[in-house]
Amino acid sequence: MFPQFGATAESLSKASTAVFRIGTDAHLYDDPDDVNIAPLLESKFDSEKTEALKRLLALIAQGFDVSNFFPQVVKNVASQSLEVKKLVYLYLLHYAEKRPNEALLSINCFQKDLGDTNPLVRAWALRAMAGIRLHVIAPLVLVAVGKCARDPSVYVRKCAANALPKLHDLRMEEHTSAIEEIVGMLLNDNSPGVVGAAASAFASVCPNNFSLIGRNYKKLCEILPDVEEWGQIILIGILLRYVIASYGLVKESIMFSLYGKDDNLEVDEQDFILKEDTGYTSEKTLSELANMILQCYIEGPDEYLSRSSSANMVPPKLDVSQFTSCSNDIVKILLKCTSPLLWSNNSAVVLAAAGVHWIMASKGDLKRIVKPLLFLMRSSYASRYVVLCNIQVFVKAMPSLFAPHYEDFFVCSSDSYQIKALKLEILSSVAVESSVSFILKEFQDYIRDPDRKFAADTVAAIGLCAQKLPKMATTCVEGLLTLIRQEYFCGEIRSMDGEDGVLIQAIISIKSIIKLDPPSYEKVIIQLVRSLDAIKIPSARAMIIWLVGEYCSLGEIIPRMVSTVLKYLARCFTSEALETKLQILNTTAKVLICNTGEDISTLQKVWSYVIELAECDMNYDVRDRSRFLKKLFSCNVDSQNHVEEQNSESQKRDQSYVFAECIFGRQTTAVTVPTEPINDRFYLPGSLSQLVFHAAPGYEPLPKPCSLPYIDFDQNDGTANSDSDEDGDPSTSGSVDEGSASDYSSEQSVTASSEADGSDEIDSGNEGNNNVDPLIQISDTGNVSEEQNGGVHSRFGDLMSTKSLESWLDEPAKSSKENETNQSRARRSSARITIGNIRSRIKPKYYTLLDPANGNGLKVNYSFSTETSSVSSHLVSLEVFFENCSSEAMSDIVLIDESSNRSSDPSTNQTPSTTENTMKIHTENPAMVSMEDIPSLEPGQTENRTLLVRFHHHLLPLKLALFCNDTKFPVKLKPDIGYFVKPLPISIEAFRDKESHLPGMFEYIRSCTFTDHLVELNKGSNSLTEDKFLVICEALALKMMSNANLSLVSVDMPVASNLDDASGLCLRFSSEILSNSMPCLITVTVEGKCSDPLTVSVKVNCEETVFGLNFLNRVVNFLAEPSVTRS
Amino acid sequence: MLQCIFLLSDSGEVMLEKQLTGHRVDRSICGWFWDQSISQGDSFKQLPVIASPTHYLFQVFREGITFLACTQVEMPPLMAIEFLCRVADVLNDYLGGLNEDLIKDNFIIVYELLDEMIDNGFPLTTELNILQEMIAPPNIVSKVLSVVTGTSSNVSDTLPGATSSCVPWRTADTKYAQNEVYVDLVEEMDATINRDGALMKCEVYGEVQVNSHITGLPDLTLSFTNPSILDQVRFHPCVRFRPWESHQILSFVPPDGQFKLMSYRVRKLKSTPIYVKPQLTSDGGTCRLNVMVGSRNDHGKTIDSVTVQFQLPSCILSADLTSNHGTVSILADKTCTWNIGRIPKDKAPSMSGTMVLETGLERLHVFPTFRVGFKMMGVALSGLQIDKLDLKTVPYRFYKGFRAVTRAGEFEVRS
Repeated sequence: MFPQFGATAESLSKASTAVFRIGTDAHLYDDPDDVNIAPLLESKFDSEKTEALKRLLALIAQGFDVSNFFPQVVKNVASQSLEVKKLVYLYLLHYAEKRPNEALLSINCFQKDLGDTNPLVRAWALRAMAGIRLHVIAPLVLVAVGKCARDPSVYVRKCAANALPKLHDLRMEEHTSAIEEIVGMLLNDNSPGVVGAAASAFASVCPNNFSLIGRNYKKLCEILPDVEEWGQIILIGILLRYVIASYGLVKESIMFSLYGKDDNLEVDEQDFILKEDTGYTSEKTLSELANMILQCYIEGPDEYLSRSSSANMVPPKLDVSQFTSCSNDIVKILLKCTSPLLWSNNSAVVLAAAGVHWIMASKGDLKRIVKPLLFLMRSSYASRYVVLCNIQVFVKAMPSLFAPHYEDFFVCSSDSYQIKALKLEILSSVAVESSVSFILKEFQDYIRDPDRKFAADTVAAIGLCAQKLPKMATTCVEGLLTLIRQEYFCGEIRSMDGEDGVLIQAIISIKSIIKLDPPSYEKVIIQLVRSLDAIKIPSARAMIIWLVGEYCSLGEIIPRMVSTVLKYLARCFTSEALETKLQILNTTAKVLICNTGEDISTLQKVWSYVIELAECDMNYDVRDRSRFLKKLFSCNVDSQNHVEEQNSESQKRDQSYVFAECIFGRQTTAVTVPTEPINDRFYLPGSLSQLVFHAAPGYEPLPKPCSLPYIDFDQNDGTANSDSDEDGDPSTSGSVDEGSASDYSSEQSVTASSEADGSDEIDSGNEGNNNVDPLIQISDTGNVSEEQNGGVHSRFGDLMSTKSLESWLDEPAKSSKENETNQSRARRSSARITIGNIRSRIKPKYYTLLDPANGNGLKVNYSFSTETSSVSSHLVSLEVFFENCSSEAMSDIVLIDESSNRSSDPSTNQTPSTTENTMKIHTENPAMVSMEDIPSLEPGQTENRTLLVRFHHHLLPLKLALFCNDTKFPVKLKPDIGYFVKPLPISIEAFRDKESHLPGMFEYIRSCTFTDHLVELNKGSNSLTEDKFLVICEALALKMMSNANLSLVSVDMPVASNLDDASGLCLRFSSEILSNSMPCLITVTVEGKCSDPLTVSVKVNCEETVFGLNFLNRVVNFLAEPSVTRS
Repeated sequence: MLQCIFLLSDSGEVMLEKQLTGHRVDRSICGWFWDQSISQGDSFKQLPVIASPTHYLFQVFREGITFLACTQVEMPPLMAIEFLCRVADVLNDYLGGLNEDLIKDNFIIVYELLDEMIDNGFPLTTELNILQEMIAPPNIVSKVLSVVTGTSSNVSDTLPGATSSCVPWRTADTKYAQNEVYVDLVEEMDATINRDGALMKCEVYGEVQVNSHITGLPDLTLSFTNPSILDQVRFHPCVRFRPWESHQILSFVPPDGQFKLMSYRVRKLKSTPIYVKPQLTSDGGTCRLNVMVGSRNDHGKTIDSVTVQFQLPSCILSADLTSNHGTVSILADKTCTWNIGRIPKDKAPSMSGTMVLETGLERLHVFPTFRVGFKMMGVALSGLQIDKLDLKTVPYRFYKGFRAVTRAGEFEVRS
């Protein structure tokens, strides 16, 4: 035969398995790096790239670090093949955090993919981009998410919702409101799939922003059954929290009735639950337990820890107002929409729905959750355990609920030990008189189970049942005694583990049953004592000996046999184990104290014998115990010998006798009786904390009932879909705070401005009152048709430079009106709007640089000026105002950039002539062109200086040092991004053209509420109604121009059939970024009624994305700020 | 939310890791997990939620594979467990089974699936039918193709239509030459017979499994003749709640292909189709075992694949068991299995023999529980009957098929 054909059976079988593996990726997993991966990645064939990537993934799967291939892999992100793309994404997301710089290379590709026509590509790009988690690109991701949140494809919108928590993880405080805005929008989505994902985003981004839920509450409830299962789990929890926070707990629910007991809120309720729970002996502990559970649900872990001890716990003060009724519509809807979910295929959904019912449903309706919960136990093994853990808590608080279903908790042999233990505990809690006999019958079977640990637990459960239902106690004790007899029958020979446990547990159970009513169990004790000889397990013996001592004077027979027992114990003392020895000593002492009978001399002999033996014992515990007892009893024994001869001595004897009585007397029973305070913690049903018995990070108890101010959100339902962000919603306490804060700062600026040009103000105010001098005037040119169909197109400033526009605007309104109308008529015959002296009415905002309180009386304010620097395009110009508020003169005031000066020459700083120096600084580190110093400032005198500053970042403050009288004050200059641009005077056509070049990624939209015009409207309420639009235009333009350095390009008037509807009003502003002269275009569109707060959506088109976004945020912030009330 | 998923093999080897969030989980956690499960044994393996020093772990154990998920924050534990079970189900379906080799051979598919199923620790697409459209399951054709041409992509380049429709479990544009719907009632009987031979518990857990291949977007209704016997039900998301609440009618737009429409429970049944009577007598260090099995069948159907399995108590040193029908085998872990197969008509199968107890032990004090397995084709022991299946919306005819099968679930006989 040819040797090469001698195939063995082994190689044949290898071959056969190899056949099955052909075509799979098996070889890649087995030897991922048997070829050189790098060249494959560079290959121009997709198949080779795929193979290389698969090899890399195999290495990742096996735990190798292959991040060194990152640059080569990133290049392939541009591949057209979806499979390559997918594999690259998988690799990229695994390592992006490790290699942030290289990961940035992929961003452009993602941006491109976001515009792809295939929704799958868009979704993947978004997921990958958000998954990279780099702070640098966070603003870009936010924009992408915002865009995808409006994507036509449901899948993409869903991925957008999932991306929000990823963004939130990066902790970008400045974008929080933008993220929450998107969450709100997605929660309002029409597709259930998106709502589910949005719910999960809500839960991780802003779980306490209930205003988002309130707006859509009813809709969310109705959509709940259609939401996909995973979203349902989260959404149910959110809705529950919302209802409790805004409406409180339900009066008819188990929560309330448990509560009623403490507050005496409703006596009927209390009676009801008492009646319901009859049959449970330890009623008091039960209600205490249930109360405890409720308390734990509401109270956070901090409060729990701060509570000194559970003994003096004060339940959280809830009053009737914090409870609502089941008939409340809000609660009704919640229960109605969650109850079909009890039929869900997903166990987690069922449990979540059951949790809502547990907390909110009336006790009558609570039955509904029982069967679904029991059915859950038939799902996977893992979930069975979790469900049982939750049922256990329900049972503890309300055993009657599950009592009729005791059969479902019968143990199967396939259950794991943990499940068996849980079932036993539940069984012993639900047992009632009607069912206990069946349960005990079942327990008898369990005792024979080969799992002895389980058998021991069963014995303990029998003890619990007997304590709960005293009627069954005798039967239980009988059964246990039989068990003990059997056990000791085979106890001698066996050394198997677990067997001891059963016996010990049986005696513990009997002991606890006897404690309930000792006189009726006299015979039981005797039987146990008789079996003492057969029982060899030390702790079991010790317990029986304890019983002898404890009940030595009980009944008729025991006192008579005690001496015999003691003799027996004394005889076998030396051969006993430690714990038994100690117990023998105790028992002998007890018997000695209690006994007053005739055989006292025998007892004393036994006593001295045992003490003597113990004193020579090997173990020091036993020796100590014996010495202690000897001392304690020496006089006692004596006193009984020589019966009270001397009174003087007896006092001392009495003392030690009292001690002995205290220690070994019958008081023990009295001491042990008070039930231990329940010190467990309970967590919300279905939570992880509930399973691990501690508050897991991120665990939130239920919100405090009615902690949310009551708002009728139904009113908002109509306006909810207008995308108004929560800034405009008065319900959130957060935004209210913000509002008040900004009020404060703007007040400051008012006072400052009135100081600066107070006379102007008064003038214009008067004008406004007297002859209604609108800043914007429509001068109809007669071309009515255009006004009718196209709306008023005003284009002013399109032909003029900013300078000329400004000068023109500065002209007195009345004269300019005629001039302007003429001019405009000459240029074009269409409707014209002129805005009057808007520049003059611009009130720059003043910021405090130095407070007189901190600056020894020197007050320094600054404002951004609209002037642009001629020195360098990077410089922003500021007006700084110095005022001496003190009573002494000041000298040598100068403001310098310390960080750069420190390096150069600190000594020159204080010298008055710093011009040369500053020039040097400017070239070295051009943070600031130094100001001309102020040699002296008299009290009350004011000076102002222009400052040119180069901010390093458009959001970060610049640290400067202010010197005055040779004292240094560190100050911070906060940048205002509104002045990082300069006006770009362009025509509307040019604007449109530029805008069309900046679509997609370069376009950002946000909306906010605008209220400034209301003040004006109210003021001029007697004026003509036609002016409303103009007032709005004026207010908007004013606000924009006074907060940012822009040029107004055009105003589009709304095509209004209704004079009160301002929707469609559109203002365009243009500017260019100072540093790089990139255009930045702003379009403000108004929606809503003139007399109401308007919804203003602001659109920014800018090539520099990060700047554009921050700019947009700034614009939205100042637009939403309440208007400055004019004096 | 979940931070990481690990797939562990039988020997504790990490076969696959998938990081889900920015908070990476080092795979050393698997080492900790494995050390614990070795030192604590079976009871640890069965603990679904574990608090490790650094993470909370969820484990689901399926056919030798441990699915381990980690988190550090509060989340619904059942959600994690249910998701891991879903992953196991999907993989099982994709790979045609679950074992170490299958996972390793198809690790790319596993990666791609996991990536679609979960995003940032939150489940994304878990419906099997949809996943199959996004990522093609491995099959002979694709395997051969990849061998021959060297190119194959299992990633679909279009988004399944279902993800955007109002019925997210179904693609709208399915076309079949032959329209057919098969409905299977698959039931499992749980029973407990106690030491006295009394039937303590007897109930049926059933599933309505549907395999539908219908063109377009069909709307089906299914009704039972005796829905009142159902104690509790759970539905696939496609079932509309309202018709069930009012008339106990299942109205649904089915997913394409095989799915579980509903599961139900019927309690308090009166009899079992099979009886098993064990007898154990022990004296003088030996124990005599006799088990009788017989059919109590009035359905006229044969009972197949009958097995009786029990664990010999640890105090038994050796056992010598024989049967008059079928085979008896005792494994090293003292599991004794008696394979009977079909119950013969002419005789009652019985197994008997003697067992030697540990030295010094006179009598047996613990008694094993006998687990019984059987299968009956063509009968639903709960008595549930399908009344009719109607197709609304789509006008054409279709073929309907109904089947039923009952298996033993947790069928236990205590001795």
